[in-house]
Amino acid sequence: MSTATLPKIAAEPKRRPLHVRLLNREAPLGYTLLVPTMLMLLVFLAFPFLWGIWLSVTDAQIGVDETKFIGGANFLYERGDTVFIQSFWNTINYTLVTTVFKLVLGLSMALLLNQVFPFQRFVRAALLLPWIIPSVLSTLAWRWMFDPTFSVLNWVLVHPLHSVGVNWLGTTNTALASLMVVNIWRGVPFYGISFLAGLQVIPVDLYEAARVDGANRWQQFREITLPLLRPVLMVVLMLSTILTFADFQLPYVLTKGAPYNSTNVLSTWAFNIGVPGGDIGIGAAISLVLFPILAIAIAGVLISLRSKD
Amino acid sequence: MATLAQRRRAPKSERPFTERAAGRWLRIYVPILLFILITLFPFYWMAITSIKSDQELLDHDQNPMFVIVPTLYHYHYLFFETHFLQWLTNTTIVAIVSTAISLFCSLLSGYALARLRFRGANSIGWGIFVTYLVPPTLLFLPLALLIRTFHLFNNLFALILTYPTFLIPFCTWLLIGYFKSIPRELEESALVDGADRIQAMVRIVMPLALPGILSAGMFAFTLSWNEFLYALIFMGDTQSKTIPVGVVQELIRGDDFFWGQLMAAALLGSIPVALLYSFFVEYFVAGMTAGAVKG
Amino acid sequence: MAEIRDITDYAAKDAWSRRKFLQATGLVAASLAAGPIIEACGGGTSGGTSNTGGPYKVPKARAGAKVQLLQWNSFVKAADDEFKRQAAEFSQANSCTVTIQTVSGDDLIAKTPAAVEAGSGPDIIQMEYGWPHLYEQACIDVTADVNYLKGKLGAIHQVNDAFCKVGDAYRAIPYTQVPNAWSYRTDMWQQAGLSKFPTTWDELASNGKQLSDKKLGQIAVSLGHAYGDAITMWYPVLWDFGGREATADGKTVTINSKETLAAVNWAINTWNSNSIAQNTLSWLDPDNNQAYHSGLISATLNGASIYLKEKNINKKYIDVTDNAAQPGGPKGLSTLNLIFNHAVMKWSQEQETARAFLLYAMEHDNYSKWMSVAGGYDAGPYAAFTNDPVWGTDPKLKPFHDVVPNGKWPAWPAVPSKATAQSQVQFIIVDMFAKAVTSKDAKGSIADAEQKLKRIYEKPS
Repeated sequence: MSTATLPKIAAEPKRRPLHVRLLNREAPLGYTLLVPTMLMLLVFLAFPFLWGIWLSVTDAQIGVDETKFIGGANFLYERGDTVFIQSFWNTINYTLVTTVFKLVLGLSMALLLNQVFPFQRFVRAALLLPWIIPSVLSTLAWRWMFDPTFSVLNWVLVHPLHSVGVNWLGTTNTALASLMVVNIWRGVPFYGISFLAGLQVIPVDLYEAARVDGANRWQQFREITLPLLRPVLMVVLMLSTILTFADFQLPYVLTKGAPYNSTNVLSTWAFNIGVPGGDIGIGAAISLVLFPILAIAIAGVLISLRSKD
Repeated sequence: MATLAQRRRAPKSERPFTERAAGRWLRIYVPILLFILITLFPFYWMAITSIKSDQELLDHDQNPMFVIVPTLYHYHYLFFETHFLQWLTNTTIVAIVSTAISLFCSLLSGYALARLRFRGANSIGWGIFVTYLVPPTLLFLPLALLIRTFHLFNNLFALILTYPTFLIPFCTWLLIGYFKSIPRELEESALVDGADRIQAMVRIVMPLALPGILSAGMFAFTLSWNEFLYALIFMGDTQSKTIPVGVVQELIRGDDFFWGQLMAAALLGSIPVALLYSFFVEYFVAGMTAGAVKG
Repeated sequence: MAEIRDITDYAAKDAWSRRKFLQATGLVAASLAAGPIIEACGGGTSGGTSNTGGPYKVPKARAGAKVQLLQWNSFVKAADDEFKRQAAEFSQANSCTVTIQTVSGDDLIAKTPAAVEAGSGPDIIQMEYGWPHLYEQACIDVTADVNYLKGKLGAIHQVNDAFCKVGDAYRAIPYTQVPNAWSYRTDMWQQAGLSKFPTTWDELASNGKQLSDKKLGQIAVSLGHAYGDAITMWYPVLWDFGGREATADGKTVTINSKETLAAVNWAINTWNSNSIAQNTLSWLDPDNNQAYHSGLISATLNGASIYLKEKNINKKYIDVTDNAAQPGGPKGLSTLNLIFNHAVMKWSQEQETARAFLLYAMEHDNYSKWMSVAGGYDAGPYAAFTNDPVWGTDPKLKPFHDVVPNGKWPAWPAVPSKATAQSQVQFIIVDMFAKAVTSKDAKGSIADAEQKLKRIYEKPS
C-alpha cells in the first residue's frame, strides 16, 4: 500500500456543528453508517424472510384469502413426496459435483493464467466471458446445443467422431450431467479469476526459498500455494456453494425438471408447487429446507478451512 | 516486481532449448488452448447461429459449424420487431442504479464494520453475511406482496430496490477486507491534525479503497445484469422488461424457438458487461486480491 | 366439406345432460325477447360486477379507462395481431385504452399466480385449462355476461363450460379452443405402403413400426412437460383404454385399474418396439414443430400451427402434409384440446370496461374474423361458431373441426377443481407414461402416479 501524502486539513478553531461532534465518536458514527444498509436489508429481506417462514407453517394458497396456521404439517407432507426427496438429493449432488470440478478447473486455470504468454490480457478477458454473459441467455445457448433434434454436440459425436448421439436432456442421468456441465462452464471463470488474484499476492521469495531448500514443484504447491490461497478459497467456496444450492435459473431454463420431474432441484420444485401448483405454504416450506442445509454446508467449509492462527 | 514465471525461467537456462519449448507447450499453451476452446465454443456457436438463416438452422443435413449464406435478418428482427432496445435500456438503468445504491450502502457499512469499534459490530457483520443464505425462491412471493403495497409493479424501481438485497452483502464483505488493509495510522494522524471522523473517512480512507470499490461495483453490476426471477415476477409490460426476461418470454412463442434471434440477443445482451470488464479487468483482479485475500 | 351441425347435435353427445339442453334452449328463447344489442359507446354509468341483481345491463366502456389483458403468445402470430387490432379499434371507438400483452404459455403459468397472490396486475387474464377453479376468489362473477353471450351465440362447449363454471357462478368468459389433431406426411405413408392414417391406437403403433423399419420418419409425440402437446396426447390414450384418474365427484382416485394398465402397456410396447420416437422425453411444445418442419418425423399431434406454418410460411412439405383426427381405443375416442378463457380480475379498477371489451371481442363478426385470420388454429366455444366459414376454406382443416365435440378436460371425468388443476400442472399422468416406457415397469409407475394423485385429491384442506 503506498502511503499517500495526507491532504492538508487546517485545524479549525471554531466550534464544529453538533452532528459532526456527535458522530465523531466511534459508536454513533458506526451505527449511523449502518443505517442505509440495515434499512434496505430489513425491509426487503428480513421482513419477507419472516413472512416466508410464516407462510411455510400455514396452508396458504394462491388466490385464497383465508390462511390458517398448521404447524409443521407442510414439512410432514413433503416427507412423503418422492419428487421432493429426489430434488433434495439432486441439489446436494449438483452442488457437490460442480464445486469439486470448479475448484480443480479454476485452480488449474489460475495457475495457467499466472504464467507469462502472448496475448495474456486478451485470454484473461476471454476466459471471463461465461461468467459475464447473463446466465439465462447462456443457458438458452446450451439448450440449443443440447437440442433433442439439432444438437451440435451430437453432430460432432456422429460425424467427425463416428460415435452415437446422446439424448442429453431426455434421460435423467444425462440431463443432470448436462446441468452440471453448464454450471461448471459458467462458474469456472469466477473461481479462476479469484484464485489468480490470490496467487498474485503470494511473495515470490517464498518459492525461491523453498526451491533452495530442495522442494520440488508439487511440494511447493502443497506447502506454499495452497495454504496461502486459503482465504480466497474460503470466500470463493462459500459464495459459490450458496449460489449453487439456491440456483433456480439454470435448471428452470434448461430442463424444467424433465424428464418426469427427475431433474428438479429444491428451488425449482418449490417454485413449481408454490406458483403453478398454487400451494404457497408448501412451496415456502420446501424453500426453507434449503436454509439449514446451507448453514451446515457453510459451517463445514468454514471449519475445515479456518486458518489455524 | 518480477513475476513468478520470469524468476523461474532463469535457473533452467542449462536445459536445451527444444526441451524447454516443448515443456512450455505441454504445460502452458496446450492447456490454455483447451480452456479457450471449451470456454469460447458456445460463443462461436451463438455467433454462427445468429447469422444463419432459419432454413439453414433447421436443415439437418448441413454441417452446422459453418454458414453458407449469412444473414443479418435476426438482428434486424431483434431491433425492429421486438422491444430489445428498450430492454437493453431497462437492464442498464436497473444495473447502474442498483449498483450505485449497493455501493453506497456497502461503503458506509464496510467502513463502519472494518474500522470502527462498537458493540454489536461483529454480530451485525455476521448477520449481513447470513442473509445470503436466504433462498430467493422463498423471498419472491412475499416480496411480490410488498411490491404491491408500494405500488411498484411494472416499475423499474421494484427491481432497483430489491436487487441490493443480494448485492450489498458481498460488496460489504469485499470492502471490509479492503478497508482492513489500510493502516489505521492514516486516520489517527488525520484526527490528530484536527479533522473529524467523517472528513477522515471521506477524504482519506475511501479514496484509497478505490480499486476495491471498482471491484465490488463490477461484481454488483454483473449480478444485477444477470438477475431473472425477480424481474420475471415483478415486471409485466413488454416495455418494462429486462433483457433476460424479455428474451425468454418474447422470443419463445410456445411453438417456436426463435433460435437465431435468441442467440443474437444473447450476444448483444452481454456486450455492455463485456466492455466494462475489458476495460477494468485489472482493477477487478486487484480489488478481489486485497478484498478477498485479506478479508 | 364441413357437416352442418346445430345445437341438437351438441345435445346428443352423452356429456350433455337433458337439463343443460333445456337450459340452453330456454335461454335462447329468453334472450330473443331481450332488447337489441347495444354497441358499447362512451359515457354512460359505470356499473359494478356483472352479478348485480335486477335485469341485465350490457356493460359499457368508460371513456378514459385503461384496461390491460394478459394472454399467451398464440402459436399463430397473425391471430394475436388481429386481436390487438380489435383492441385498438375498441379503444378508439370508446375513447379508452385496451392493451394486449402476450407472454409465452410457460410464463403465463408463472405470472398469473404471482398476480393473483399479489392482488394486482392485469385487468383481464387469460385462463388456461381449469385455472378459474384454482383462482376462483380472484376472478369476478361473470355469470350474467356469460348468459348474455349464450343467448346471442348459443350453447357453450362442455369443456369451456366445465372450466369456466365454478360451483354456480361463471368465473371466466369462454374464449376459445385450440383443437389438436395429427399432422402427417402423406408421402412417407405412401412409401410405407399404408393407405390411410390409423383410426385406432393399435393401428397407430403398427403403422409407426412400419415407418420406422423402412427408415422413414417416425411418429413422434412429446413425453416431456409440454403443457400443450403432452397433455393433449396422453390423457386421451388413458381414456381410450378406459382408464380414469378419479371419480366424477373428484373424491376418489381410480387410476390404479386394469384399464390403466392396458393403456400403459400399450405405451410401453409401442415405445420399446421403436414404433414411436424415443427421444421425446424432454420435448416441450416447440420441439415437435421443429422436428416436423425439418422433415425428420412423419407424424405428430399438435394444433393446426404445424399445418398453417407449412401452408403460409415454409411451404416445404405443404403438398405432402395432411391432417387426421385422433385415433380411438377399445373403450372410446376422446380428444383433449387446449382451452383458453378470459377472467376479469377482482382488483381491476375498470371492470365494466373490461367486460365490455370481452363482449366486443365475442361479437359474432369480430370473433369470426379472428378465427379466419387464425386460419383454423382456433375454434369457437359457442354453438354459433361451430360451422364458421373458416372451416370451409380448406378441406385439410376438417380434422381440426371434427375433434372439437369429443373434447374433454384433463382429469375428466372428475369435475374441474383445484385438485384436477394441480394434477395437470404437475404432469402426473404424462410422467406416469414417461416413467413406464423408460423403466418398463407398468405397475410401478401406476402405483407411483396413484400415490401422487392421492396426495392431491385426498389432501385434508
